[in-house]
Amino acid sequence: MALNLTTLSQQVRQMSGALVHSAEDMVVRTPQVRERYLRESGAEAQWTRAVDLSRETAAWLLARPVEPLHTTRLAPICPPAYALVATDGSQIDVDRHGNAYCYLINIGRVYMRYGPQATACLTSQPALYYQEDDLYLTDGTRRVAIEGNYLSARRDAEEGIALAALADEFLGDDLPALAMQDGTLIRWTLSGAEKFVQEHFLGLYLSYLEHMRQRGIPVVSYISRPRSPEVVGTIRLMYCPDVDLHEGRGARCNECSDVRAGRAPSCRICQGLVDTDVLADRLTEGQRGPIFVSMSRINVERYGPHLIHFFYLRVGRELARVEMPRWVAQDAAQVDLVHSLVYDQCIKGQGYPVALARAHEQAIVRSSDRRAFQRMIEGSLQRTELPTTSSRKQESKEFTRG
Amino acid sequence: MERTRIAEVIESSTTRFTAGAYELLVAPPFGALVRAQTRVEGMAVYGLVYEIRTGSKEPGGRAVVRGRTYTGREFYDAEIYHEHPDLAEVLQTEFSAVTVGFVANEQVYQYLPPHPPPVHYSVYECDRDELVRFSMACDFFRAVLFAHQIPSDELLAAMIRSAARARTDSRAYLVHAGREVASLLKDDYDRLTALLRRIRPL
Repeated sequence: MALNLTTLSQQVRQMSGALVHSAEDMVVRTPQVRERYLRESGAEAQWTRAVDLSRETAAWLLARPVEPLHTTRLAPICPPAYALVATDGSQIDVDRHGNAYCYLINIGRVYMRYGPQATACLTSQPALYYQEDDLYLTDGTRRVAIEGNYLSARRDAEEGIALAALADEFLGDDLPALAMQDGTLIRWTLSGAEKFVQEHFLGLYLSYLEHMRQRGIPVVSYISRPRSPEVVGTIRLMYCPDVDLHEGRGARCNECSDVRAGRAPSCRICQGLVDTDVLADRLTEGQRGPIFVSMSRINVERYGPHLIHFFYLRVGRELARVEMPRWVAQDAAQVDLVHSLVYDQCIKGQGYPVALARAHEQAIVRSSDRRAFQRMIEGSLQRTELPTTSSRKQESKEFTRG
Repeated sequence: MERTRIAEVIESSTTRFTAGAYELLVAPPFGALVRAQTRVEGMAVYGLVYEIRTGSKEPGGRAVVRGRTYTGREFYDAEIYHEHPDLAEVLQTEFSAVTVGFVANEQVYQYLPPHPPPVHYSVYECDRDELVRFSMACDFFRAVLFAHQIPSDELLAAMIRSAARARTDSRAYLVHAGREVASLLKDDYDRLTALLRRIRPL
């Protein structure tokens, strides 16, 4: 037996026990942290400055408030007719042990129009990449293989490009319109990448956002059950004994005065909490919380006019995170539109935006498709009489040898 | 005049074929005569629609209830389709037909064709004239009555009723068809009377 379920079940029970224990502890801390957060409502300017001062030296992710911390807004009434486009992607990574060096990106493309002339168009567009230029990025001296995280970065860029193309094809000026992506608009995967790789993919991505800005079509992304602790990072500053705005000093986690004095850090109370824990009780169905700016390095340093803002939105039993670029977030009418359309999509999709669910259905590559793809490559190579050998390791995995 | 095609073959065998409709929820009625194109010029296969179904295009997928959102809004029937234009893209209406004959060079044959209609070839619903022409002979009755795993008696009754409606002298056709059925089911009185009740002239 490959997976010893008897041994595993003991570990699963232990894990459940540990989770119950930590959940009890969080139930006590969460209201305290929430109360602290709300007490600072009205002092946003102060915390904005504290965030800016701490950005380089805090060990935590931070979020800069753009609206009062106690903000709650009901979803505006959804326009009777609107149109939206959405994309999602999936990939088959380079198989080092396989027959041919190539990868595949499949982009699910969705256009939906609601109202009097309701219609929908769901398609998927696969693309096979096998040329030298597709497989490697180079800056003259160095050569980086596009696989793993870098392939994800390429897929993200392709999703954006496909979304811009969809918007050009389908969205006119006659209706309120929206472009939607799954996941985050912040390209975290590139934050640790080599400079020229980051330049390449981020360049593609930002030019797509710029295209949408010029078209005036708001771009948003939707994250179901987000686990980000950025607002909590800002709350940590509220507990931090080292933040001193008069002296122009932010949090410096490497030189934490609590630790130096032999105490547990004051911000320990926030340990393990995420933004949605703090904001969950504040928001009723369809309501959104305040808008924040994500202070992640790649966002602040590279996104420029597209600086990613976000808010949390109550959808049924979960809070979702909705991200948008600055040019959307600074336009109150656009924020209202985004809020109402995203929420309407969630209602239609019974808790998750229907356009994204459809895009995912179009994009998904199932294991049977994966096998068919491999067979297609084998068959095609055989017909061209090229050698089709998989690695010894691949062969050894085919079946259990007696 | 050629009628517009309504569906295309998505599954095909010698004795029956299944077609996917181009428009969701729009399929010829139960018992209708349909014609599937073949690769041979002037040759088409006739089938009787014995099952119509609508479901997810995804293998194993199922539709979910959509009439009540969790915010408490209620939608009824066609409103649901209007509210979710994507449904037309993810659901599919299909119908299956049992093969009852074919036409080649203008000649109608009421026995199985040499080849089933090819997958992806067009399916048309036969018009009144074609139905009248096909139902001149009753040789296909036997194939329908003794076909397996289809509601054969209901199917034949529905076919006879529509063939009668297509004629000016409906009554004469019903009587003629009834006699034909009686000779085929002479050994099964219960089945015969049940079928005759279904085609009784009004």
